[in-house]
Amino acid sequence: MALIELDHIGKTYDLGLTQVAALRDIHFGIEPGEFVAIIGQSGSGKSTLMNILGCLDVPTAGRYRLAGRDVSELSDDELADVRNLEIGFIFQSFQLLPRASALENVELPLIYRGISKKERRERAVEALERVQLADRMTHKPTELSGGQRQRVAIARALVTQPSLLLADEPTGNLDSRTGEEIVNLFLELHRKGNTIVLVTHEPKLAARCPRAVRIVDGLVIADGPGREVAMANAEAMGAEVVAQVLAAQAAAEAHARNVAP
Amino acid sequence: MTASALPPLRGKPKQLGFFRGLVRFFAELRDAIVQAVRSLLAHKLRAALTIAGVSVGIMAVIIIFMVEAGMQASFAKQLNSLGPNTLYVHKWAWGVGGSDWWKLRNRPAVGQMDYRALVANTALPVAIAPVAETQAVVVHGDKEIKNVDIQGTTEAFLDAGGWQLRRGRFISDLDHELGGDACVIGADVEDALFKNQDPVGQRLKVGPAARCTVVGSLVRKGSAFGQSQDGTVVLPLSSFLRSFGAKRGLVIAVVAPAGKVMETEDEVISVMRSARRLGPDQDDNFSVNRQDKILQGFNQTMMTVNVVGILVGIITAAVAGIGIMNILLVSVKERTREIGIRRALGARRASILMQFLCEAVMVALLGGALGVALGVGAAALIDILSPMPTSIDPRVVAGGVIGSCILGAVFGLWPALSAAFLHPIEALRHE
Repeated sequence: MALIELDHIGKTYDLGLTQVAALRDIHFGIEPGEFVAIIGQSGSGKSTLMNILGCLDVPTAGRYRLAGRDVSELSDDELADVRNLEIGFIFQSFQLLPRASALENVELPLIYRGISKKERRERAVEALERVQLADRMTHKPTELSGGQRQRVAIARALVTQPSLLLADEPTGNLDSRTGEEIVNLFLELHRKGNTIVLVTHEPKLAARCPRAVRIVDGLVIADGPGREVAMANAEAMGAEVVAQVLAAQAAAEAHARNVAP
Repeated sequence: MTASALPPLRGKPKQLGFFRGLVRFFAELRDAIVQAVRSLLAHKLRAALTIAGVSVGIMAVIIIFMVEAGMQASFAKQLNSLGPNTLYVHKWAWGVGGSDWWKLRNRPAVGQMDYRALVANTALPVAIAPVAETQAVVVHGDKEIKNVDIQGTTEAFLDAGGWQLRRGRFISDLDHELGGDACVIGADVEDALFKNQDPVGQRLKVGPAARCTVVGSLVRKGSAFGQSQDGTVVLPLSSFLRSFGAKRGLVIAVVAPAGKVMETEDEVISVMRSARRLGPDQDDNFSVNRQDKILQGFNQTMMTVNVVGILVGIITAAVAGIGIMNILLVSVKERTREIGIRRALGARRASILMQFLCEAVMVALLGGALGVALGVGAAALIDILSPMPTSIDPRVVAGGVIGSCILGAVFGLWPALSAAFLHPIEALRHE
């Protein structure tokens, strides 16, 4: 059974005088364990799609089934519970609580799961160890580098053992070297069996993913291996982007060789 | 990187069950308190100003209530000194507002005829004492005291007024019958004229014409309604009337046996009516006063004080509440992204609501506790430094603390609701 089933999803914003269709007819599914990039330019509707996938918003048309449950008509509180249970968010701007330590940030979603103080602490420590931040647990976000902050955010997403990791431009605020580290961390998590959806506008990032879905004007116009979708997208954008995608492919192959047994 | 060593998490939040629901609630509460403290510490000046505003408001209300309670307690004590079983037959009605004054002024004065009728025709009273009163200068040798309360009465005065003798004897009925020159002095007069000296047998000049010999002195009684009762010279009624004029109105104190105050009052009224030959359709042209009538008048005054106190309370509470609302609106604005983050991680609307109500109640509680402390301190200071009595009522303290909590919750509700109903996406995008 598919983890995510998007059944002719539409989302229309009512702006009073006019109606804007952000999503028109989105119809695809994602199996457990997949690593999928959703690629599109700004205004393509990819952010709207991410919000719906993350249960932060509900579609105005169609059905969205997440882990076998129809979530398109849930109440606000039920959506909050589904987010806590099924989804780990990773944002472009990290979205950490500024006045709380790394450990407290990672513990936060477990509060809403009704986990005891002791177990919260244990699980948060373990999650931070998994992203190699065991020595930064008491630091505030302002005392951490961008890459470290994003790794705290990833630990926070992992700690609830969600069925879906939902990353929104996770490398957007990072330099290319740190971004590469984060991408490798995602590939690692994918290898361990996590389902990941990565929303981006960068073809070179999509090229690293096993599967990519390209959105234009609220419609899916390409769905296939990341490399091919990214390449088609890159060709439309010019020679410079093609070169970037080719470089990204080379990096991916090098990475694959390194991690292969 | 290692695979998770801990067992997988189980259970959907909808099926949390009672125990995990409780764990969640207390975890959220703890987190809300920690966040509120951090939020206040991050803006110390802002928090301090709001807390100061709340505390001044609470302090003002507490001072008002404590002064009021003190006045009530001291009034009740003073009233007791009049004797709860004593009726006072008088031309005037006590505790009646000024607007009725003109109705009473044409009544005949209560006089000796009335006194004799009461003595002759009543059965219930324990004691009946007529009292005539004026003020005069009292002279002994080269010492003189002005504004001494000169009272003319009979033997029953001692029981009716609850007085006790310190030295010598009291005026006897014989003194009254004979119009003798005996007199009894109050403690203030004794202290002023006969320091370290036995007053009994000494001669006094009372007013312009009267002379008398001191036969006894009274034990100090203290003041009632801000006036000392001990600056007095008591004469036999007949001597008093001879010296100060026979047409003076009297107050007749009638002591009822315990538990029969109402019956005695009825008897006194009927005897007075027949003595004055009032027809069935005529109103009483005298008043039978009891101490609780003074209480009525006092309670009317206190009601006004109460209303003013409550109004001041409401106004200060509103001002303090607006301060809380302001600090909270700023906090909601500042923490908008945090709201978005929490909502994305699974916080329900109620969780966000609790988060901000916690902050509001904390500000209010800090202000309330400080205000109670200041109010109690100020009340104690007023008690020491001014004649106004205050009393510290634990209920007022509890009310101040609980009231400030409610204040925080009420004025924090709107900002907290606006936070709870923010859309998570909008909140996450907030800069």
